[in-house]
Amino acid sequence: MKKQNRIGSRLFIGLTFLFLYLPIFLLIVFSFNAGESSTVWQGFSLDWYRALFQNRLIMESLYTTLLVSLLATVISTAAGTFAAIGLYALSKRKRDALLVVNDIPMMNADIVTGVSLCLFFVAFFQGWGAFAKWFNGIQGVVELPERLVLGFSTMLLAHIAFNIPYVILNVAPKLRQMDRNLVDAAQDLGCTWMQAFWKVILPEIKPGIVSGALIAFTMSIDDFVISYFTAGSATSTLAMRIYSMTKKRITPEVNAVSTLLFLSVLVLLVLNNVRELRQERRADRQEIREPSFFEKLSMKFNQPAFRWVRRGLAGAMACAFLAAVVLLTGATSSQPVVNVCSWGEYIDEDLITQFEDETGIRVNYQTAESNEALYSLLKNGGADYDVIVPSDYMIAQLLEEGMLEELDYSRIPNFEKIDPRFRNLPYDPENKYTVPYTWGTLGIIYNAGMVGEELDSWGALYDDAYAGSVLLINNSRDALAAALIHLGYSVNTTDEGEIREAFALVADANRRGVFQGRVMDQVFQKMEGGNAAIATYYAGDYLSMVDNAAEGVDLRYVIPEEGGNWFVDAMCVLKDAPHYDNAMAWINFIASTEANLANMDYIWYASPNTEALEQYPAYYEENEGEPLDMELYEIMAPPASVLERCEMYAVLPLETRALYNDLWIQLGT
Amino acid sequence: MRNKRSWFAVPYVIWMALFVVIPIVIMAVYAVTTADPATGQFQLTGANFTGMGLYLSVFLRSFWLAVVATLVCLLIGYPVSYWMAKEGPRFQRLAMALIMLPMWMNFLLRTYSWMSILENNGLLNQLFRAVGLLDLLAVDHIQMIGTPGAVVLGMVYNYLPFMILPIYSVIVKLDGSLIEAARDLGADGVRVFRRVIFPLSLPGILSGVTMVFVPSVSTFAISSLLGGGKQTMLGDLIELQFLGGAYNPHLGAAISMVMMVIVVVCMVVMNHFGEGEEQAVML
Amino acid sequence: MSKELIRLRDCVMSYGDEVVLDHINLYINDKEFLTLLGPSGCGKTTTLRIIGGFLSPTAGDVLFDGVRINDVPPHQRTVNTVFQRYALFPHLNVFENVAFGLRIPKADASGRKVKLPEREIHDRVMEMLEVVNLKGFEKRPVSALSGGQQQRVAIARALVNRPKVLLLDEPLGALDMRLRKDMQNELKRIQQEMEITFIYVTHDQEEALAMSDTVVVMDGGRIQQIGTPEDIYNEPKNAFVADFIGESNIIDGVMRADGVVEIFNRKFQCLDKGFDKDEPVDVVIRPEDVDIVDEAAGQLRGTVTSVTFKGVHYDTIVDFYGFKWLIQTTDYCPVDSRIGIKIDPDGIHVMKKSQYSGMFGDYSSYSEEYEELDAAVPEDGEEDDSREGGYEE
Repeated sequence: MKKQNRIGSRLFIGLTFLFLYLPIFLLIVFSFNAGESSTVWQGFSLDWYRALFQNRLIMESLYTTLLVSLLATVISTAAGTFAAIGLYALSKRKRDALLVVNDIPMMNADIVTGVSLCLFFVAFFQGWGAFAKWFNGIQGVVELPERLVLGFSTMLLAHIAFNIPYVILNVAPKLRQMDRNLVDAAQDLGCTWMQAFWKVILPEIKPGIVSGALIAFTMSIDDFVISYFTAGSATSTLAMRIYSMTKKRITPEVNAVSTLLFLSVLVLLVLNNVRELRQERRADRQEIREPSFFEKLSMKFNQPAFRWVRRGLAGAMACAFLAAVVLLTGATSSQPVVNVCSWGEYIDEDLITQFEDETGIRVNYQTAESNEALYSLLKNGGADYDVIVPSDYMIAQLLEEGMLEELDYSRIPNFEKIDPRFRNLPYDPENKYTVPYTWGTLGIIYNAGMVGEELDSWGALYDDAYAGSVLLINNSRDALAAALIHLGYSVNTTDEGEIREAFALVADANRRGVFQGRVMDQVFQKMEGGNAAIATYYAGDYLSMVDNAAEGVDLRYVIPEEGGNWFVDAMCVLKDAPHYDNAMAWINFIASTEANLANMDYIWYASPNTEALEQYPAYYEENEGEPLDMELYEIMAPPASVLERCEMYAVLPLETRALYNDLWIQLGT
Repeated sequence: MRNKRSWFAVPYVIWMALFVVIPIVIMAVYAVTTADPATGQFQLTGANFTGMGLYLSVFLRSFWLAVVATLVCLLIGYPVSYWMAKEGPRFQRLAMALIMLPMWMNFLLRTYSWMSILENNGLLNQLFRAVGLLDLLAVDHIQMIGTPGAVVLGMVYNYLPFMILPIYSVIVKLDGSLIEAARDLGADGVRVFRRVIFPLSLPGILSGVTMVFVPSVSTFAISSLLGGGKQTMLGDLIELQFLGGAYNPHLGAAISMVMMVIVVVCMVVMNHFGEGEEQAVML
Repeated sequence: MSKELIRLRDCVMSYGDEVVLDHINLYINDKEFLTLLGPSGCGKTTTLRIIGGFLSPTAGDVLFDGVRINDVPPHQRTVNTVFQRYALFPHLNVFENVAFGLRIPKADASGRKVKLPEREIHDRVMEMLEVVNLKGFEKRPVSALSGGQQQRVAIARALVNRPKVLLLDEPLGALDMRLRKDMQNELKRIQQEMEITFIYVTHDQEEALAMSDTVVVMDGGRIQQIGTPEDIYNEPKNAFVADFIGESNIIDGVMRADGVVEIFNRKFQCLDKGFDKDEPVDVVIRPEDVDIVDEAAGQLRGTVTSVTFKGVHYDTIVDFYGFKWLIQTTDYCPVDSRIGIKIDPDGIHVMKKSQYSGMFGDYSSYSEEYEELDAAVPEDGEEDDSREGGYEE
């Protein structure tokens, strides 16, 4: 090899590594940033690490990730090894046929595996439900659970299912290489098959098992797609948590957790490398040396006389592992819980802790992306929620399908404080199912600096003047509503012509490249960072953006003159909710004036609680030491005159919903 | 026979039937049916497939972006693997470790780090601004996020190790005497590579291509994070039917089936040229 | 000899339609050195594996000391095996390989599992390493040993368990010629020293003749002949045995009377009796039993077609009436010279016609390669085992 070539090749390899590691390096650097930005350096601090250890959602998901990866690795390694041994005892023809099936999960796209397993679990749960009902009906001794949902165990099964093939693929060649007389020899010398397995087969195929386990662990910890489809809603791996965070606002706590993960793996790797290097050097020098203290210890330990010590230790370790698993899962299951599903950044998280401290009920707090996504989750059998917080029209739809349970208002005394304006609304005319959570309007948020004029029409969304900097809301109902209002139609129209006309307006703008993207909660990052000029979003979120906006970003909110949409999000309880009583406690707690004040202050959405609405300006002044900007307060809780210009969504008939869906998918194509 | 432990395979066969075969069968059932909105009963229909023409552009975009990403991975991955295999054992071990290392961080974390780099106001645009490139071009920013290029970048970044590992493991095992023999027979460096090394590394290339192409064509997180939701790909379309805004698992299953079949056909055609999947996923 | 130890009664082994062992009947005495001899695929390894307990016969019984042991698993038989290519445990050193069997807890008289004390294990292993001349090697990894040393470890590993019977499956197959000779003597010595039964499988007839008390010649899943080495060599039962053991000229003949056999229309005196008059027979004449004489004085006359110097003697191929004989002689006869031969009556051995008649004994295609090819036949057992690819068979 010529010298020059080597420099060139090393440069290329180096550049590739730079490409691989620069993003990770930046991730690490910004985990030490004093500010919240992941693009502007504002000084060194360890705040995000502190915040990380206090962030229960991230820590829980980290724990879930590690637990599922470890369990899946251990189980699939053991199962895969035995399966490989079994496969190698079969005739070649049968073995080859089975190995083809074995390849399927590896060849298939993750999403296909995830989707098919998800459908399988849902189908199984339906069958199980019918069986359990029948079984519980004919006898009263054992009570089988009738409702199963996706969760940790289904995710674990899925992980095992896609890990086993990798283990088999790594163990099989070692079996093939093994002298097939070895087992015979061991048996000939007096071993039973099991003894031969432990004493001969296992040491021989150990390298294959180790690399199989390593691959399985890598695949598990790197997985997102399959977990996403099989974990349901109550369980989140770190990846799922981050995915839902990217839809809203990612805080540098994620950088911090990534850094910790990266560093721990790095340390392991370096240790392993150093060890191998040492061994190699020794082998190079053919060095014969005194065994070190540890080696002597391990030699001693390997002597038969120490077998009880050995067995005891192994037993103790196994017990500790089991105990850890049982304790950790038990700790979470023995406590009373309530499963809540809401929207991202839609609660002052201190309220959760406060509620837990007061009642001893653990809150399992999950978020969904949109009303439609929530609906999918519920339909998919992936949800085990007690309390959900859908919007008006979705409540009507869920009621239509009989998916909600009546509330026991005698246990929700705080309902009395709800402003009559927000009671008996069309979606729940007799108010038997809902307790309002927040209300607000949908309008245009714009960056005054980038736009350069005052906006007062929905038409701005489709204006070529702002090409490439408009964010389309990624939700068919809201996106088409804006267009319908602009065209002068009702947001609840069922006229196909009107809807298609509105769609054409959106689709046309999309084709012309007006939209920078279709976003939901990513809107925060984009607008706050000055990355986009115009967006459609909710008033409360506008206030939150103003609060977080980067320097020099002047955000404005307007309900255009054509009119707008106003909404109520209300707490409901699902039919067959597993923790109905706890759900009542939670709803009552959240409906209290104190909770409403805290929420208003945190999420900037208006409360339906009369007392809270009255007390908020004073509350704000007390907390912040400065008077509340009443102009902003009017955006948050607009007066009746504004609400009159706005129309509330009603539930659309099935055909119209189907039309919305079809059109919406076409937009992406 | 006395020593046979073939019954060890029985639990595994049952397991595979349960968690590999039956799920795919159920998916196929979903694909050819639709649920009656009123009763929830399944009815046989071909509409899921006939209506798929609507999404032709999504199919085309997915396959196009995946092909581009795979080619880029190959163009970077092959030289890296080839040159790595020529280095000393310590260099090789270190390089292998460095390539594996990012895989232990979840790929969403890695994709997320690119978001802050590619934003309109992100690190790269800041850099361009600082060096005066943006003023030179008289633009406020260079649009990177939300473009097909960003999606391809995300795929290449995440799946490059899957290209390097199999190619490297094939090249490093090449019998050195073959190369010597070729030289002995008068082949020069270029010819040795073209006639000996490259054909022998083909199995590695094929499995690398498979391992990059399949996840690329079906990705949905990368496209939604870096594609700004505008670069709808097959994965997004499927996710939308199951957990997204448009709940229709039957259509989602049908799209999954079609994608699966196309991918399998591609793989079969490719594997016609060689075999290599096995080395690929072994450490 | 002494008492009977093992008996195979009507043992049949078949895989589907393929019959590997066809009604084998065999008994083996205590302290005997018995060799199963035959070409690849003759069923000798299968027979050994049945005795070892790795295979169960499809039909028939295996008796050990008069007790049926068909269903006794290998680890409960007082039989140990030295495997083809030794099957040493690569992850253990020499000492641990030998100690392997001793470390397995054995049930004592009361049925309790007991482990041997470490002291005893150590002593027995060291003693056995001394028997096989491997003292001082105990800490070595087995991969660092030469073929012959590995062979000794394999033997020590089997013998240390004090089996009643030691099974050896082509144990010398992987060794070179010289080492093989040394090891033959070594094995014989060990067998006599330990006073146990050896059952030895080989396709090398020289090895079989040199070491055995009893030789069992097998072909096509059947036993062709059982006897002492001398019997087998001098009184082969059929053309197969005659050809397989040593070199033989096998000629068609007709028995004219007791003691008179006709070959090439010429009558020869012989010692065989009890055939029908004018019965067609196979006649075996060993190459070294032929004397070359002047053409005129010969009972048969022929032309020399090739001569090969073999050290002690010449291999001379002579054409008699179109039939080529191999003659081993110390006299040199140039190619194309005419010669005559004489055969003493005790040099002529008459056999009944069998399925093997006409298949062997002609040296018309004889060449050096012929022998080499024979030696290059892979160790027996390959085709027995390769039926299904499982490593555990």
